[in-house]
Order: sequence, then C-alpha cells, then structure tokens
Amino acid sequence: MKKFFKSIVFVFILLLLVETLTLVLLPGRNVKKYGVFEVAAYEILGEEENTIDVIAAGDSLVYSSLSPMEIWKHFGYTVFDCASAAQIIPDTYDFLKVGIKSQHPKIVLMEANVLFRDPAKKKQENKLLDYLKYYFPIAKYHDNWKKYITYGRKKNWANVYKGYKFINKVEPATEIHPMSGSKKRREIIKSNLQTFDDIVKLCEENNVKLVLVAFPTQSTWSSKKHNSTQDLAEKYGLEFIDLNLVDLGINWETDTKDAGNHLNYKGAIKVSKYIGNYLESTNILKDHRKDEKYKSYINAYRIYYQNHKEQLDKIETTAIE
Amino acid sequence: MEKLIEILESLQPDVDYETTENLIDGRYLDSLTILSLVAEIEEEFDVEIPTVEIIPANFNSAKKIYEMIERLREE
Amino acid sequence: MNYFDLTYIFLFLPIVIIVYNIMPKKIKPAILLLASFVFFFMISKFLIAFLLLSILSVYLGTRWMSKVDRKRDEVLESTEKEQKKEIKNKYRRRKKLILILVILFNITFLFAFKYLKFFTLNTNFLLNCMHVGWRIKVFKFMAPIGISYYTLQAISYIVDVYQEKVEADKNIIRVSLYLSFFPQIMEGPIARYSQTAHALYERVRVNFQNFCFGYQRILYGLFKKFVIADRLNVVVGKIFSNYQNYDGITIFMGIAFYTLLLYMEFSGTMDVVIGSGEIFNVKIPENFRQPFFAKNISEFWTRWHISLGAWFKDYIFYPVSLSKPMKKLTMRARKGLGNHLGALISGAIALFAVWFLNGLWHGAGWTFLFYGLYQFTLILSGNIAEPFIKDLCTKLKINRQNIAYRIFQSVKMTFFVFIGELFFRAPTLEVGFGMLKMMFTKIHISTLWNGNLFKLGMDKKDFLIVFLALIVIFIVSILREKNINIRESISKKNIGIRWLIYYALILAIIIFGAYGPGYIPVDPIYADF
Repeated sequence: MKKFFKSIVFVFILLLLVETLTLVLLPGRNVKKYGVFEVAAYEILGEEENTIDVIAAGDSLVYSSLSPMEIWKHFGYTVFDCASAAQIIPDTYDFLKVGIKSQHPKIVLMEANVLFRDPAKKKQENKLLDYLKYYFPIAKYHDNWKKYITYGRKKNWANVYKGYKFINKVEPATEIHPMSGSKKRREIIKSNLQTFDDIVKLCEENNVKLVLVAFPTQSTWSSKKHNSTQDLAEKYGLEFIDLNLVDLGINWETDTKDAGNHLNYKGAIKVSKYIGNYLESTNILKDHRKDEKYKSYINAYRIYYQNHKEQLDKIETTAIE
Repeated sequence: MEKLIEILESLQPDVDYETTENLIDGRYLDSLTILSLVAEIEEEFDVEIPTVEIIPANFNSAKKIYEMIERLREE
Repeated sequence: MNYFDLTYIFLFLPIVIIVYNIMPKKIKPAILLLASFVFFFMISKFLIAFLLLSILSVYLGTRWMSKVDRKRDEVLESTEKEQKKEIKNKYRRRKKLILILVILFNITFLFAFKYLKFFTLNTNFLLNCMHVGWRIKVFKFMAPIGISYYTLQAISYIVDVYQEKVEADKNIIRVSLYLSFFPQIMEGPIARYSQTAHALYERVRVNFQNFCFGYQRILYGLFKKFVIADRLNVVVGKIFSNYQNYDGITIFMGIAFYTLLLYMEFSGTMDVVIGSGEIFNVKIPENFRQPFFAKNISEFWTRWHISLGAWFKDYIFYPVSLSKPMKKLTMRARKGLGNHLGALISGAIALFAVWFLNGLWHGAGWTFLFYGLYQFTLILSGNIAEPFIKDLCTKLKINRQNIAYRIFQSVKMTFFVFIGELFFRAPTLEVGFGMLKMMFTKIHISTLWNGNLFKLGMDKKDFLIVFLALIVIFIVSILREKNINIRESISKKNIGIRWLIYYALILAIIIFGAYGPGYIPVDPIYADF
C-alpha cells in the first residue's frame, strides 16, 4: 500500500513538473486568460488579441495550401490557418468559435471538404491521441528550449507560419483528374448541415464575412462535392470559391508533395497569391505592413524568409523570367 | 601442474597463474591464445580436448585447466 | 511496432504485465508465449509460420536426440569395455545426422529470405560476364522479423543438446518461449538455452522492485535513442547521401557520428530489451560492455554485440579450429613456424570463417563482406604483430600499462572502428572507398571554424546537448566498468536525490529528445539483419 501511495505521488509530481515546463516552453500570449492547454491546442489564442483579419479553417488542404506569410508579404493582411489533419466539422466550429472570440476577424475562409467528412467515422485511436495531444502539448513544443536559450522570455518568440506547414518535398502526380463536370450531388449528412448552420450563425452574430473555399487537390475533391457546396452557398447567400476550377498555374509535376493530394510550398505560393487578390477585392481589409501594432507579423516574415531563403529566392527569380 | 604453468607463461607471461581466477572472463587469454594452449596441452599431456570442454569454467584458472586435463586423462 | 514505440512501452508491455500477474501461476508461461506470438504477428503477420516451423524442427530434433542418447546408454550398460567406444561412435553418427538435418532445415529459410536475392543477382552477373544467354529470376521475400536471431538461437540449442551440454527439453512451451520471447525476438541478444530458458518458466509474479528496475533500464535506453541517436540521424544521412559535397573533416565527423548513432541506437535498444526481461525476472544476457574502453579491435568485439561474437566463437571458431584436420595442420605448422605462428594458422582459418559469416550475417552485400574481411585482417595482423610490438616496447622502454600508451591504443582502435562502420553504412563499396579517399585528400581546415559544421541539421545547441548527454553516458560507463551496480546504489540514496535523478532523466528525454518536426527518427537498424 505504501508503495502504491508513493507511486501515485511520484507520478503526480512528474505531471506537475511536465506542465510547469509546458508553461515555460509554450509560445504565444494570453496564457493567463485562456489557460495553458487552450493556448497550446488553439495556436491562434497565442496571437495578440484582435490582430487577425482572416481565419482559414479546415483540414490538411488548408495548412498545405495557404501560407499567411505570402499574403502578408504582398498585401499586408493578417491571415491565420486554423487547420488540423482530417478535420471534422465540429472541430471546425470549435476552432472558429475560439478564433472569432479572441480575434474578431473580418473574414472567415471555410474549407468546403470538411462538409463531406463523417464525424462518427473519426478513428477511436485518433480520439485518444487527441486527448494526449491536448494534455501534453509539450510533445509539440519541447524543442522551444532552443528559442528559450536564444531569445529568453517568450514575448519575442514569433509564431512564424501562422498555422501553415512549409513543405519542401516534391512527389509528382502520376495522374491528373480534371473536374468531371458531373451534375450529380454528393450528399452532406444531416449533422454536418446542422453544424454548418451553427457556423453561419456564429459568423453572422459576430459580423464576419463567411466564404467557402475548395483548395486544389487531385484526389479528395470532385464535381459532385462542388455541386453540393454550390447549393449550400446559394441557400445561405454565401460566396464559394472553387480553386479546382480556377487556373492558378499549378504544375502537378513540381507543386505537389504527395502525388497530387496536397500542394507543397510552390503550390501554396500560387494559391496564397490568388486568395490575397480575392481578399483585396472585397475592400474590407487594410494593409498593416507599416503598422507597429502588427510587429508579430513583421518579425515572423523576417524569420520565415531567413528559414527558406533558398527556396523563396528561386521562386522569385523564376517568376521574373 | 608446473609443466602447465610453464606452458601458460610461454604463451602469456604477464599473468600470475597461481592466483588469477578469471583468465577468460578477465580477458587474459584470448581465443587465439586458447588455440595455442590447447595444442600445447594435447602434445604435452597426451590428451584430446574436445570442443565441448572449451568453456570459460574450464579455463578460468591454471587449477581448473589442470583439473580438466586430469579428468580427460581418466576417461 | 518496435521497442522504442510508445505503444510498446506504455501499452503492450503494461498489458502483458497485468495479464501475466492476474493469471494463475500455471499458465503464466503460456501468457508470455502468447504475448510473444502476438508481438511477432503484429509485425510479420502470417510469416509466423516460419517461426513455428523452426521451433517445431528444433523441438522434435532435440527430442529425437535424447531418445538416441537413452538407447545408447542402455546398450552401453550391457557391453564390454572394449566395444564401448565403437558403440558411442555409432550413436554419435546418428545424432550428427539429426543435427545436420535440423540445421540445414533452418538455414534454408534463412538463406531464402536473406540471401537469395544477392545470390541470384551475382549469379546473373557472372552469367552475363560469361555471355550465357539465360538469367535466374530474382526473388525477394519479406523476411519474418528476427529470423537472423532466432535461427542462431535455434542452432545453438540443438548443438548444445548434441554435445550434451544441456538436456533436451520435454516442454515445448519452454522451448518456444526461449526461441520467441518478445523482448528478444527482434534484435537479440542471441541467448543460450542455459541462460534464459529456465528463468522464462519461473512463473513468479512481477514485483514492484523488478517493475521499477526494469522501467529504469528502459528509460536509460530511451535517453540514448531519443536524445543522442535521433539527434545525429539527420546529419549522418545528409553526409552519407551527398558525401561529394563535403570535405574530409565533415566526412570524418559523419563517420564518427554514425558510429556513435549505431552504438546509442543498438545499445539503447538492448537497454529496453534487458529492462523488459528484468520486469519478468528474466536476466537477458548483456550485449554491450563499454566497447570503447577496449584496448584493441579484438577486445572491442568481445564488448560490442557480445552475444553474436560469442555465438560465432562457440559454434564456428572452436569447432573449425579444433576439428581433426585443423589440429593436424597446427601440429605440423608449429614444428615449421614455431609456437606462436604455428597455432595462428588454424586460428586464422577459423577466424576467417567467423568474420566471413559475420559479415554475411549482417546482410547480403559486398559492403558487409568487406566489413567482415576488414575486421578479420585487423584482428589477425594485430595478433601476428603482437610479439614484435612487445619486443619493440621493451627496447624503447615504453611501459604498456601507462596512461599515455593506453590513450594511444584507444585512439587507434576507435579510428579503426570508425573505418569499419564507414563500410557498414556505405550503400556500396565504391561510396565507401570514395569517402575514405576524400577523408584524407580533401581536407579544408577552415571547416573547423567557418561554421559549416553547424549547417548540416544540428546547430550549436544540438552539439552541446549531444556533448552533455555523452558525459552522462561516459560516467555511467566508468561506473559499470568498475562493476558498480548503478540502480542498486541509486536506490540506496534518500528519496529526494533518487527522485531527482529519475525526474531529470525523464524530463531530459521529453525536452531534449530529438522528436517532432525537423527530426527523422532512426529506424531500428539491427532489426533488418
């Protein structure tokens, strides 16, 4: 019995130590207001409040296609990707709720593919993993001890990618599937429609312009999905941008990291420019590039550019040619 | 016994064979030395040492080696 | 699943412990066996059939041998002394036949899975050279996990029974468990029947102390793997795959880092393996004994992958060198060449066989064969030179026990080890020699201070962490070399210091572990052999 009690104390102290270290290594602000686990789980909470103009929410297509730093560079808008792998729509709702509450953005770009994913089919083991990730965010942030040594207190740690994942890999697509042009519909399940309705209301209440977006992919999108999304957009009077129908100049030989499923950074730069132009055309947003209040983005861009100088410079020169 | 120690000393002189009891485990004799040792013993004592006998327990001290020789002679 | 997967350490192992403890004493071994089969199945699926075939062949073979022995003893009792030798020989021949059959049966699988492709490719190459028109079709099968390890264990067991070192076991569960115990199945150590079989069948509950000691050992292995090995992996991969882009100093660093990575990965795995065994009160034999404290290459190999070296010594080296024709050769050679060199001849032949097979065991490829021959050459020349060096040292009045000479020996040995591991890792002999050449010819001394070494995937902070972690490993190694039981002495400290050490180790792994974005974990290297 004594051993059992001792073991419990040992584990308890260990957890305490781990969480203390999490607090030290966690990047971002607002920990006092929102708590360690929340700030760790929702990166956007770590940003200075009310500084984000646009939230992009959705699955891996979002974090591989839309690079906020590219938009910042060319337009000066602050975009943040609230994306997670194989995201289901209830998670999208949570991300948006948290994001809107802390940032009051003007525009939300919601990725349309999440409408077609059945939340009930999310794997049980992933749920367990989600719990672990939630309570032990240190696994994700442990490497920040390096930043701690270099920069000292976390005030200066810039969140460089703003939710985007920079992918350098190239794996050419073996086949290209153009949109078939089918007139059929892919059914959206009832609970997803319900959650989408909640999302629309959330945006309306907070005066946010909601836009549906489908990102370029060769495997997960189809004309059937397009049609259903189009119906939904018309029903709510929303804009729907299907990037699979727009010529972005994506080269599926060089711009994808996994044979057409996701884009790599080359593809992401093209998508980001297009989205930036779209955001400009709405005439709602302001260019913050010279605004001291947006220092976090100014710093982030500097580091982003340093980290990927080689790749980014190459893109610039080929663009000029 | 004296003859044995003579052989041992000719092969590897830096060891006190009267007292050392970990000739193998302490790496005083490596496997190539063991080969020479076996050949010498077989010649001097007119015994045959089969592979089965080549285990650390039989070679860890001069005394143990001698015991093994005695045993093999009797068989 | 491998031993560093969190699913193994925090899910599989605890579940086995709980089930093992709540089940009645009688079926505890069966639980361990079931867990082992599940573990095997999770990795290799239905290839488990080959494991079962090996087990069955060895079990039946040994039972048959013991039957022959019993019959022999019966006959011996009723015969005259003069005929005894003849009868013994007659039965020995029968046993030998069984032995050869079972070994061949097991070796065939090993050959089919590991060497068929290499063999056919090279035969085809020869056919091509000889302008023969046809080719053999190339087959390559997915090998059952751990086949290189359990096959050697199986052979050691049946040879031991043949030599009557151990008795043939009647209990098939014990034999199966000895051959397939889940912590050992993937990467060894290659234990002998006498080392683990009975402990595996002891049926004692997992107690608190064994549980703690076992997990402490596992933790130490995790530290080696996550903090050091994984941290070095990116740099090593970069240097080996694009060696032409780097200078000699960088290449040398890559080789040194690879050796270190291999040491930390493999000995770390062994810590997890031995710790897992300890939990169930099974003393799995050690596979490493501070290899870099060795004086020469020959000693190094008795301290690195000990169980493989010991296997080759007992089942290849002595049987070959002490076989009848070899003994005759030795006698003749000793007369002609003197004692030292004479005995060396049969030794050299046996040693060649050992290192040829050792190279081959690591994989079918010319690099591994070269690696084996390289070690053979080093060990043999060291042995031939030994008397001359001794003379030289006495003449020059160098004390071979003094610290400067010991350091010189260590540096020399480490350098030779590096070169060996270079060929061990190189994808082809050509690359290996290319790197070796560049190491000596393309030296840009400025690499040491222009900061290029920090641009390969490890920054200064990473170097610092590796350095500090190595100090920890070094201190532990010294204590072990002095035969101090570290966990025992820690457990005698007061609770504050004790817990502080554990917390420091756990938190070091969590914070300084090289996992997550930017790092590439090392694959279990020895599981492929």
